[in-house]
Amino acid sequence: MTHLNRLFAVVSGLAVVSLAALIICPMIGIVTIVPREMIHDENLRYVFLSMRLPRVLAAFCAGGGLAVAGMVYQAIFRNPLADPYTLGVSSGASLGAALCILAGVSGSVSGMSIITAGAFAGALASIAVIYCFAWLREANSSTLLLAGVIVATLCSGLIMFIHFIGGLHKSFHILRWIMGGVDGVSYSLMVFMLIPLAAFIAVTSMLMPQLDQFLTGDSIAHSRGVNVRASRNVFISITAVAVGGIVAVCGPIGFIGIIAPHACRLLMPGVRHRLLALCSFLLGGTFLIVADTLARTLVPPSEIPVGIITALLGGPCFLLLLFRRKSRLLV
Amino acid sequence: MNAHHVSIELREVHAAYDRYEVLAGISLSIEKNSRWAVIGPNGAGKSTLIRIVAGLTKASRGTVLVEGNRIKGYAARNRARILAYMPQKPEGVIPYSVHDFVMLGRYCVMGLLGVPSREDRELVADAMDICDIRHLAMRLMSTLSGGEFQRVLLAGAVAQGAPLLLLDEPTTFLDPAHERQFFEALARLHTRRELTTVIITHDINSALQRCTHIAALRHGRLMFGGTAGEFRTRCPSILRDLFSIDFSAFAGRDGGSTVFGTWESL
Repeated sequence: MTHLNRLFAVVSGLAVVSLAALIICPMIGIVTIVPREMIHDENLRYVFLSMRLPRVLAAFCAGGGLAVAGMVYQAIFRNPLADPYTLGVSSGASLGAALCILAGVSGSVSGMSIITAGAFAGALASIAVIYCFAWLREANSSTLLLAGVIVATLCSGLIMFIHFIGGLHKSFHILRWIMGGVDGVSYSLMVFMLIPLAAFIAVTSMLMPQLDQFLTGDSIAHSRGVNVRASRNVFISITAVAVGGIVAVCGPIGFIGIIAPHACRLLMPGVRHRLLALCSFLLGGTFLIVADTLARTLVPPSEIPVGIITALLGGPCFLLLLFRRKSRLLV
Repeated sequence: MNAHHVSIELREVHAAYDRYEVLAGISLSIEKNSRWAVIGPNGAGKSTLIRIVAGLTKASRGTVLVEGNRIKGYAARNRARILAYMPQKPEGVIPYSVHDFVMLGRYCVMGLLGVPSREDRELVADAMDICDIRHLAMRLMSTLSGGEFQRVLLAGAVAQGAPLLLLDEPTTFLDPAHERQFFEALARLHTRRELTTVIITHDINSALQRCTHIAALRHGRLMFGGTAGEFRTRCPSILRDLFSIDFSAFAGRDGGSTVFGTWESL
């Protein structure tokens, strides 16, 4: 069947491309490093293993995680505009980071930057608000979306106030944090993001059949035997925690979470969520690796914030895909 | 009546949206293998009634028993094994192929991983045959016509394999030919297995012809609940009371059954 061939082509294509990105991108930089040279040169080995490799791995996990989180929210809310930050997690994290920067605390405790910890705390606080609405108030999905937007707006207001009173230097520091990026991510910092992400992947991969049901509408999903409210709340909570971890480490990197799942849907019309999640992860991860590689090599020795690259690179590609694809038939 | 023969039992069921009362004390007993039509004017509480039976809406008072147990007591999957509900209209675009959508009906019996067994595949193929949509299997749901779409929704509900089927105005937006195809699919299903259907409709003549029982609702109260034959003897006066508009009886051609309509003159 051509339909299965198509799925196979997309999945294997993405797998090959992401593997290539994972292998090639750590070699690229101001100095090109090929593995043979590393054996003899300790400095090159350090740059490769302790600077570039964690950065590429972090980009892969963050991009992939954001893409899957975006896919989950788009399905749960049956809204193509939903993204990982819809419920205000990134705004909470940004506020946490901004407060730390304002207070002037920096440095790190046992390998963990204080700003990262502050951002993670901010993310958890905003998750707590969502949690209250979802589990305690038993809100429906529109109320949840609205509550998320309000939380985000509230945090933005506070961040703006911090910008206002913080002075030029701190204000720029906050701005740079909010632009996001995987620069300076070490292995120990990555743990922050990998633990929630692993929990997220483990739980959601078991629940993918339920996610399939959500897109048929609440009443059909209910009729098919899904406990709609409980299932939605589980998805929302575990996804928010994963996004919180990613944002705390990498900042709110935009765009990937909304376009990667859509791009995969356009490439594979009618696809179910387990395969879609895999493809979204590969595409989102690869995309962030490539964007970050461009960010650190385009204008050496300075680095462009990766959020600029993701938007400028991803936007036109996605528009082209949207324009070209007329997905009608599966066969 | 023996409890084993009862599919749905409603006792003094009340429902309200905020303070607005939608159902005011409905009591009804629906036997297994019967075909019920729920009729009544807009806003009479038909959809609310069927949603309460499906467990989608909570009754504010009263008892709803399905297959002898309270509907609220069922775990979601177990409920899906005994009843399937088909809404009037899905809440959005369904982005799957027809085959995949019908397969989603098997969720309630599948394992955690959602991998279909041979039995699941056979039942899905069977449901698609009954609803005459086999040729559409690989089409995307978004490309279907109205009549095809309703039959696919029915196939999804049929695939659940539940003995009780609740249909909320399944043919309202269909032309006469597609409406007939839909009911033919339903009739095929009735010949295949034990099945109780409750269907909301505005087509009174179709209900009288195709269903064994009628439930007539007005202002949240049950005006009539009994066999179609009994309902027919009380037509057209009961229709006038129900809809507050004059109905007349028209003789069917060649000794066919009488039909009822609101036409001024014929």
